[in-house]
Amino acid sequence: MVLVLYGTEVSAPVRAVLLTLRALELEHEFQEVDLTAGDHLKPDYVSKNPQHTVPTLQDGGAYIWDSHAIMGYLVQKYAKDDALYPREPLQRAIVDQRLHFESSALSVRWKQLKHLLFEEKVTELPIEKLHETYALLELFLDGHEYMAGDQLTIADFSIVTSVSTAHLSIAPVDATKYPNLSAWLTRISSLPFYEQANSIGARRMAELVRAKLPKQFDKLWQKAFEDIKSGAGKI
Amino acid sequence: MGKITLYGVDASPPVRACKLTLAALGLPYDFVVVNLMEREHLSEAYLKKNPQHTVPMLEDDGACIWDSHAIICYLVSKYAKDDSLYPKDLLKRAVVDQRLYFESGVVFTNALRSITAPIFMHGIKVVPKERIQAITEVYDFLETFLKDNDYIAGDHLTIADFSVVSTVTSLPVFLEIDAAKYVKLTAWIKRLEKLPYYSENSVGVQQFFGLIKNLGITVEA
Repeated sequence: MVLVLYGTEVSAPVRAVLLTLRALELEHEFQEVDLTAGDHLKPDYVSKNPQHTVPTLQDGGAYIWDSHAIMGYLVQKYAKDDALYPREPLQRAIVDQRLHFESSALSVRWKQLKHLLFEEKVTELPIEKLHETYALLELFLDGHEYMAGDQLTIADFSIVTSVSTAHLSIAPVDATKYPNLSAWLTRISSLPFYEQANSIGARRMAELVRAKLPKQFDKLWQKAFEDIKSGAGKI
Repeated sequence: MGKITLYGVDASPPVRACKLTLAALGLPYDFVVVNLMEREHLSEAYLKKNPQHTVPMLEDDGACIWDSHAIICYLVSKYAKDDSLYPKDLLKRAVVDQRLYFESGVVFTNALRSITAPIFMHGIKVVPKERIQAITEVYDFLETFLKDNDYIAGDHLTIADFSVVSTVTSLPVFLEIDAAKYVKLTAWIKRLEKLPYYSENSVGVQQFFGLIKNLGITVEA
């Protein structure tokens, strides 16, 4: 059994799968797909994934894509128990709703913002839409330590990758405005495999975004990165 | 089995995905209309059950579940006599799941809702060209997914068909499906129209079309 993950670490959904692979302690190969070079549009890749997105997972002779589908597959196939993706239908329904929330409200908004920034060269980004999403995540966390209840699940892995990227680049999570979300970010970032699986890639993406924004944001990013270095904001 | 209640409106595609699934499973349920124009989804009572204040929402013996995809997976897992609508085989399930996430992200949110949110919330009357391009991409991908399959996730009917068809049959009010260009897509829709309970979708599609047409929406040329 050989698991190969195709992707690039600046991509949030790729990192969500990396977090899951690490949590399950699954050995895997990583095959870099350079999106800027159009690797994902080459016939070899499209034959594996006709939607030509990252990540794609190869398990033996099968190819699976969409990070949420991959994460569910990995837990169901390889985990020792169902803690990360509960089998009980009601508990699973909560995780599924959080995963679809990520796929729609978070992922799509982030992609649209990236499109505005990188393709349309817009620098006045409608980040209020991200704040609407933060407000809902704040509610989901009400009375719970994790996104889908009292236990860590793949919903946390999926959501933390996009939230951390937004947090580090254009919409920092204000702890006074979003106390639950801020505490949750700190909690997830304390996982032993978090730095390797998410942090590095999220920071790289944040730098790419930052490079496109006007200079007046520089002081803000300087402070944010200093906080990260000093451990004050361990994300 | 406790009481099942579905909250929503027929015009809403994800509500129709739930109705198709409930009908396919032969499950009795109450339907409670949530008048979105009257902001009933923002009432204190509704927010207590669903803080995301969306439709559909399912109440099953007191437990509240939302997001159509989560609802339909739940219904099959809990009530179906077999797993054909949502296979237990992990590779087959991964394909159904990918189609469901494709639906929630690329089809519903990026293609449909990106058009309808400005219309319903900000009174926008003209659909920008790039939003029409997003619909074309959906039709293109679905044509590809159907290349070697009769159904959206493989060789038999699954909840992915219910989820995708509800939105895809709503998009033509903005961009018609060119039957000559999208041969497989057109054939797949016709195949699903033959389902004995397909009216659970078609009635709502007509309502949705009526809603958009009455608002005098046009598409940027």
